[in-house]
Amino acid sequence: MTITAGVDVGTGSIKTVLFEVEGGRTHWLVRRTDRVRQRDPLKLAAQAYDQALEEAGLRRGDVHYVATTGEGESLDFHTGHFYSMTTHARGAIYLEPSARAVLDVGALHGRAIRVDARGKVLTYKMTSQCASGSGQFLENIARYLGVGQDEIGKLSRQADNPEKVSGICAVLAETDVINMVSRNISAPNILKGIHLSMSDRLAKLLKTIGGIDGTVLMTGGLALDDGLLAAMQETMQREKVAVQVTAHRDSIYAGAIGAALWGAFRHEKLARLDALAAA
Amino acid sequence: MSTSDIVARCTGLFEDLNFVYAREWKAARPGRKVVGYMPFYVPRELIHAAGALPMGVLGGGDQLEVIHGDAYYQSYICRIPRSTVELGVTGRLDFVDGMLFPSICDVIRNLSGMWKIMFPKTMARYVDVPQNFRDDVGGEFYVNELNELRKDLGELCGRPVDDESLRHSIALYNENRRLVREVYAFRAAAPWKAPSSEVYLLMRAGMVLAVEEHSRMLGEYLEAALAENRPRRDNTRIVITGAFCEQPPLSLIKSVELAGCYIVDDDFMLVNRWEKANVPLEGDPIRNLACTYLHGSMSTSAKYEPDLSKKGLYLVDSVRRNRAEGVIFMAPSFCDPALLERPMLQNVLAAHGVPFIAFKYAENSGQMAPIREQAGTFADSIKLWSEA
Repeated sequence: MTITAGVDVGTGSIKTVLFEVEGGRTHWLVRRTDRVRQRDPLKLAAQAYDQALEEAGLRRGDVHYVATTGEGESLDFHTGHFYSMTTHARGAIYLEPSARAVLDVGALHGRAIRVDARGKVLTYKMTSQCASGSGQFLENIARYLGVGQDEIGKLSRQADNPEKVSGICAVLAETDVINMVSRNISAPNILKGIHLSMSDRLAKLLKTIGGIDGTVLMTGGLALDDGLLAAMQETMQREKVAVQVTAHRDSIYAGAIGAALWGAFRHEKLARLDALAAA
Repeated sequence: MSTSDIVARCTGLFEDLNFVYAREWKAARPGRKVVGYMPFYVPRELIHAAGALPMGVLGGGDQLEVIHGDAYYQSYICRIPRSTVELGVTGRLDFVDGMLFPSICDVIRNLSGMWKIMFPKTMARYVDVPQNFRDDVGGEFYVNELNELRKDLGELCGRPVDDESLRHSIALYNENRRLVREVYAFRAAAPWKAPSSEVYLLMRAGMVLAVEEHSRMLGEYLEAALAENRPRRDNTRIVITGAFCEQPPLSLIKSVELAGCYIVDDDFMLVNRWEKANVPLEGDPIRNLACTYLHGSMSTSAKYEPDLSKKGLYLVDSVRRNRAEGVIFMAPSFCDPALLERPMLQNVLAAHGVPFIAFKYAENSGQMAPIREQAGTFADSIKLWSEA
């Protein structure tokens, strides 16, 4: 039996999971999310990890492999680090085995990844450096509008006449939003407009990676935004792309899950290699 | 002394673009001379035997703003000659009495001529190396070349370089190279105990310190690194190649390591371990240096390989010897020797089933995210999908 941890250090939050893996069976022990909120993410990640261990009744020494992902490579207690694309691919397959593409939308970027049934990355495309298609941008706009983050999705789905914003540049998009506010456009229509602009951009990424069919799983922090999910589904339908874009209630943990499961895989592989070398 | 103390000293030397150590060394005794040299190789023993301090000049790194240097070169030339010119015209090398430019590429060869025009009071010399590896052809050529250099250095330092002094210098450099090889072997065996960002700085220190002092430092580092307990990570073991002239920024080396790679071999500053075994001390020291160059020196893209069937095998050998799982071709933009050779080396690796990736840098590269992405996904693909 392998006990493994996955720590996903994101820009907006730290996601920590613990798993018990035996043979092909996995048992999810603990999950927790800690918002960064101006704190040192590495210190916060260390605290979150210790709290996760406490919740599971474990000590650091009980964990066979601590896998980090995201910006977690500098954590001094990690065994190995995996690039976030690798972990989101694996985490997505764990959450939705039929998924063959992943749309990872986090605080700073969006990424479309084509995967196979094992969670192997086949190809990927990322948004450019501008943050206009990201969670951080959406969070800023919500703050300007005086809307709480948990209200964004609900309000967006109430829109009756959405107005799109620039999908290329966050600065231009923010100017668009200021203009809309001065024109008395309602918050639901502004938010839905942003969601539609973001989904246009994400749909382009999905089409660029090519060969997608079946299920596309959204992961990352924005997978929890049901307004964005609805806009994505609408956009794919409008673009006549025959895929089902979906999200899982644990989509935010995809990176951490992938890290933990790859960690377990590596722990077993290294043990096999050590045994071979000893023989 | 702890590794962090040693690394702090090395960092100070690495960041010092005014070469205070060499200036102080020179000022400590009247008549002392400093001779600068560029990558990838010069016979430092000759400089030392003449009584001068050999000082590696590896460009300006990422902390030097190149203003004047850009005026001397077209845009499609690498950065090291520009930043070296910048060091020269801003007076940072005004204490240097001689500059040696090894045979590595047209740009550096031309820089030797430019140096003569720009700094006429400084001895500037192009150091040619043999491209023919027969003793009676390349060997004779190199003996003559070394004797000419010996004469020039003797004149610069005001005393002829005699055989006994040269043997003494060869012995000191033999010891230095033995310790350098030991550090490399130690890192290959336990890369978590000797991070490449540290080993790099340790080797860079050898570019400016007197050889005796550098050898002491290497010994102290080995002792300290062995005693320290550092956590072992599940990283991918890789060899870096192509970085033998213009050096990558330190942040790039750190980024590759952070991305999940243990660098178990590299070609940064090859001059530190160019000769693979001791240069013999008996007999004619000049002939011994020439013979070791022909038959006992490292391989790199800048060194001609006359036997096509052997081309690139040094990389395969490094992979096997250091138990590496992949190779990263990391070369400066516009580096002809590294980039023109790369496809041939990649073919050799492919034929031997060694995975590789490639990217380019400049000594002042600042954007590390793409590097981390490439190195990180490369490390992941080996860890998760290799057959081993």
